[in-house]
Amino acid sequence: MLALERVSYRYPGAPRLALRDFTLTLNDGEVVGVVGASESGKSTLALVCSGLAPRSIGGSLTGRLLVDGDDMQGRPMHEMAAHIGICFQNPTSQLSQVAATVFEEVAFGPLNLGLDRLEVARRTTSALEKLGIGSLAERDPERLSGGQMQLVAVAGLLAMDPRHLVLDEPTAQLDPAGKRLVADSLASLARSGTALLIAEHDTDLLAGLCSRVVVLDTGAIAYEGLTPEVLADERLTEFGIEPPSDVALRREVESAGLHLDLPA
Amino acid sequence: MSDIRCAELRFEYPGGVRALDGVNMSIRAGERVAIVGQNGSGKTTLVRHFNGLLRPTSGTVTVGDADSSRTRVAQLAASVALAFQDPDKQIFAGSVESEVAFGARNLGRRGQDLSDAVEGALESVGLGGEKRTNPYDLGYSRRKLLTIASVLAMNTPIVVLDEPTTGQDLRGVRIIEAIVKQLGNDGRTVIAVSHDLRFVAENFERVVVMRQGKIVTDGPPEQVFAEESWPTLRSTNLEPPYAATVGARLGLGSTPTLASVVEALES
Amino acid sequence: MVTAAAAVVLGGVFWPLVIVLGAVLIPASIAGVLPTLLRYSILFSLPIAISALLVNLFFFPGGQTILFQIGPISATAEGLSFAIEILCRIAAFSGAITLFYLTTKPTELVLDLERRGVSPRLAFVANASVQTVPAMAERAQQIVAAQRARGLDTEGSVWRRFRGLVPIVGPVVLGSITEVEERSMALEARGFTRPGKRSLLWFPPDSPLQRIFRWLLVVGLGAIVAARAAGLI
Repeated sequence: MLALERVSYRYPGAPRLALRDFTLTLNDGEVVGVVGASESGKSTLALVCSGLAPRSIGGSLTGRLLVDGDDMQGRPMHEMAAHIGICFQNPTSQLSQVAATVFEEVAFGPLNLGLDRLEVARRTTSALEKLGIGSLAERDPERLSGGQMQLVAVAGLLAMDPRHLVLDEPTAQLDPAGKRLVADSLASLARSGTALLIAEHDTDLLAGLCSRVVVLDTGAIAYEGLTPEVLADERLTEFGIEPPSDVALRREVESAGLHLDLPA
Repeated sequence: MSDIRCAELRFEYPGGVRALDGVNMSIRAGERVAIVGQNGSGKTTLVRHFNGLLRPTSGTVTVGDADSSRTRVAQLAASVALAFQDPDKQIFAGSVESEVAFGARNLGRRGQDLSDAVEGALESVGLGGEKRTNPYDLGYSRRKLLTIASVLAMNTPIVVLDEPTTGQDLRGVRIIEAIVKQLGNDGRTVIAVSHDLRFVAENFERVVVMRQGKIVTDGPPEQVFAEESWPTLRSTNLEPPYAATVGARLGLGSTPTLASVVEALES
Repeated sequence: MVTAAAAVVLGGVFWPLVIVLGAVLIPASIAGVLPTLLRYSILFSLPIAISALLVNLFFFPGGQTILFQIGPISATAEGLSFAIEILCRIAAFSGAITLFYLTTKPTELVLDLERRGVSPRLAFVANASVQTVPAMAERAQQIVAAQRARGLDTEGSVWRRFRGLVPIVGPVVLGSITEVEERSMALEARGFTRPGKRSLLWFPPDSPLQRIFRWLLVVGLGAIVAARAAGLI
């Protein structure tokens, strides 16, 4: 379980807080979505949850970050990595560039932990299987499609055996086929017990994946709740977020005074 | 006015990859065209022929009177301005203002004329108040709007946008939709390469679908997204926009846009 | 193979380099890189070889036996024989280096070093740096295309092209920095900064035979140097 209690974060040298008084609990196996306009704090939230903020990028953090009840303050980054993985939106800049095959790429993390080779191989194979990309094991990671690269990135994180994954707009740079590939894999990953926190603009994607959604506005929670309610809420567009296609259509139809009756 | 004409256009990248395999098409001045297809279908390769960045391996591309293989890119840029997908592979200036002025200045505009062009472009993307800001102090989606502003300031009769809505939030998408509409009203040609079929259906009068270097469908959204065309779309790994699927489920005919669904329900 | 090449390089201190060449050409054909090796090493050593030949042929101090004359300068036999010596050394030297370059994969070299105790982070930097060059070149290409699309003239006069460097170098550098930042965060999130040794999935195999061979080469080199110093050869 990952919990943020009244967390505020300021980037180094920044005048304003990027995240304000943020409280959230991510339970085991849950999938929670985060939406918000650009620069509303989605990426900052991801960096804070993963521990990179402040450990890697500096800045000041107040409040508490707890994993299964333990305060993570002061724990080094390589320890955080065993609890929470973070996936970014750019598929290529997450590759280590020193792996000739996907297998080596995914093994990179466990190797860093100094685990013995059998354990590394076990974790790598298991991660590849969980994401359904076992067939890519011998491929050159730089030659894959965007969607495949993202899955390799996630596999690389899973091999660290975290129980939580934070994803910062993982499908933003992918084509529709890539988006579907990643969405399906994330869904099956959630079913196997990993907790996911996904920040996205694509509300259609979140509608199919998340049980809860949090709406961010200038670094603080504007409102939150169960997915269907949050995404159908009229305030969504005020906060700069495009509603899912079905909600948008319904609204358009109803504003013309008509009624939309969709057969199941 | 400039038309773009492609005749038997074939293009092979060094290394033998055939990206375009006999493309025949023309775009009339003032049209709003969207080019769609999955990654690798040739859509980006095609639009890079419009300003001469790529020259045909065989076949011809003409922009107005100019043969693209015989004209310098810097000259074609006066007719066709192309905004690339990744803003971080273009932005170099220290201020929003100079970045936007770059293209227009290259085309020879100076003084008041130049600052008017820059002002106008910044207003249309909503960055009017950020003239002195360092582009890297803006977030990704606003940097993208910045590159589009830079292209708008060039005031060319033809504007090409490569994946303009990728990575944009709602506000960004609305701004781009307004720009496309305004360009159309001004009689300028707008060509967009996009994955976002909702954006395409709602804003363009013509959709060109590509697969493996060839055009497989070319027509208005009502035709390209109609149920009969779905097998073709799916063969290129594309799904029709949501509005079209609803129209099909309710037996309303071809309804590529939200407005068309409303219209169909009203009748 | 690595140390073999190095030993050959160092062993080039006297005339019978023709023999030493055998230690370059034969392994090269075994490794299947002979044509490439010849092409590269001849290409690289050509300028220096030509100048060495000409200088020594015509201007060798103390040259007596004149072979032929061109105007005021004359070619001497002593000069010729010295030039040949130099050419042999150049051939051995460039041949050995090219052999090393062609038969060693950077990744393997780095893994081997890491196994022998080089810090993993240093090893990583060495490895990744090699990959950076093609990535940067590609990035530069895309940036040039984007700027040309905005009217940057790369086909005009030299001065215009020079002025065009700023809009290209800027994004290349900035973009590379940004990518490095993103990559380093992604790597940290995968435990890269953990102190201590990494495990290795595999490393280049090293048989006892290879080890003995390497020692023999080093010893042989020492013997050659000693013999030379003692005036024996």
